Amino acid sequence: MTASRRNWNLIAGLAIVLSFAAFCFLIFSGLRGGWNWQGPWEARELLFKGWKTTLWISLSALVGSLLVGLLLMLGQRSPLVVVRWTCRLFLEFVRETPLVVQLLVGYFLIFAPLLSRPLDNIGWDEKLIIGIILLSLFEGAYLGEIFRGGVESIPRTQWESARAVGFNRVQVYRYVIFPQALRRVLPAVAGQFVSLIKDSSLLSVIGAPEFFYQSRVYVSKSYAGLEAYIPLALGYLILTAPIAILSHRLERRFRDET
Amino acid sequence: MRLEITGLTKRYGKQAALNDLNLTIHEGGVLVLIGPSGGGKSTLLRVIGGLETPDSGTVTLHGERLPVTESGLLAYRRANGFLFQQFNLFPHLDALRNLTLPLETVHGQTPEQAKATAEEALERFGLLAHAHKRPAELSGGQQQRVGIARAVASKPRVLFLDEPTSALDPEMTAEVLELVQELAEGGQRIVLSTHEMGFARAVADQVAFLAEGKVIESGPPREWFENPASEHARRFLSKVLRYL
Repeated sequence: MTASRRNWNLIAGLAIVLSFAAFCFLIFSGLRGGWNWQGPWEARELLFKGWKTTLWISLSALVGSLLVGLLLMLGQRSPLVVVRWTCRLFLEFVRETPLVVQLLVGYFLIFAPLLSRPLDNIGWDEKLIIGIILLSLFEGAYLGEIFRGGVESIPRTQWESARAVGFNRVQVYRYVIFPQALRRVLPAVAGQFVSLIKDSSLLSVIGAPEFFYQSRVYVSKSYAGLEAYIPLALGYLILTAPIAILSHRLERRFRDET
Repeated sequence: MRLEITGLTKRYGKQAALNDLNLTIHEGGVLVLIGPSGGGKSTLLRVIGGLETPDSGTVTLHGERLPVTESGLLAYRRANGFLFQQFNLFPHLDALRNLTLPLETVHGQTPEQAKATAEEALERFGLLAHAHKRPAELSGGQQQRVGIARAVASKPRVLFLDEPTSALDPEMTAEVLELVQELAEGGQRIVLSTHEMGFARAVADQVAFLAEGKVIESGPPREWFENPASEHARRFLSKVLRYL
């Protein structure tokens, strides 16, 4: 770096820090009554319960969306044209309508009438289960496209060589295509998982008792302000940041390998 | 090698890559396909190698009809070996694993057997020192030799080589051709296509000259190189041999 570039960097850095500080000052000085951390602390159990529910929803939907994504990818590579088109149609529909609408329609019109009673009978929370199903379908549609891109990016010669050594269809995918495609799609998949965790907050519209929902409950009870939303942001960060870090690390490892 | 091909046709869209091709070979361990690019050499190899199904016609190898079902073709591919011009190896696996993986998963060897078989094959071609390198760390010639080692490790009935040296520089070409010749002398049955005329003449027991999706003529190399019967082959030879 040249000396003049270093100076400009310093000036730009200072300018950014100063304007951010000024911005924060304007926001916080406008708040009346000052901070009250007593409230969130007293509601910590409720908030933590919500956070744990979000964690649980995210993990389940993560597995679910992987399955849905894999099926959609394979479906789009099916030799049967009907299967290909069905998958394509489903995928486009899911990707081109808002998640909130899917959740409301999917819950109230489709799954709740079908599943409420049986789930209730075995003592499961229908809102959670149905929410996880709907979230898996939504994120799975995106993963399906990511996987398809990854698989199709593997050069023809690899498919041919794999067939030439005598691998069957399943073995071609398992030993040759997936290991190579995985390296290529990893950053995109990690990004999708981060989205999934954040999108899980929308399950509050069907009343699933997750993190965002519980924060809202707390806010409406206590009329709290920023004190309720800062823990909310931090709570989500704790879930998403490790995924982002892990993905960067894996990305680097795979790059060094090849 | 006994090979009988009758009326073989393969079209890609409107283009006929193989156009009513006939060829009969009764003897000889090494068949070399020669001819201009786009003449059908690769397609013929892919069909008799079990990678592609023809639109019509029959292929009989050692008295057995080439299968038409996917499961039949899979078994057929497993019994034979195939090598392409380049990029044969799986880039995410090292050389040794490239050999052991098919031995374990396709040929049913235990990991110990597969390792022993693979190391023996690599050793035979002087590649053991590179066993733990990934394809990207090997030269083009080494990659092709590992590819051949992988193809012969499972003791294929016939080894199919589609222009195995076309992507290599002259020095690497020599090292790969030497290896192929060694295999041929060891009794390995081989069908290969090549543009290396000197090599073709030295290693072939039979040559077939392909152009426009047909076998124009075939026979022992000495006769064909000295005195090709067709005008087409004469013109081809005079062109490719001009600078030798």
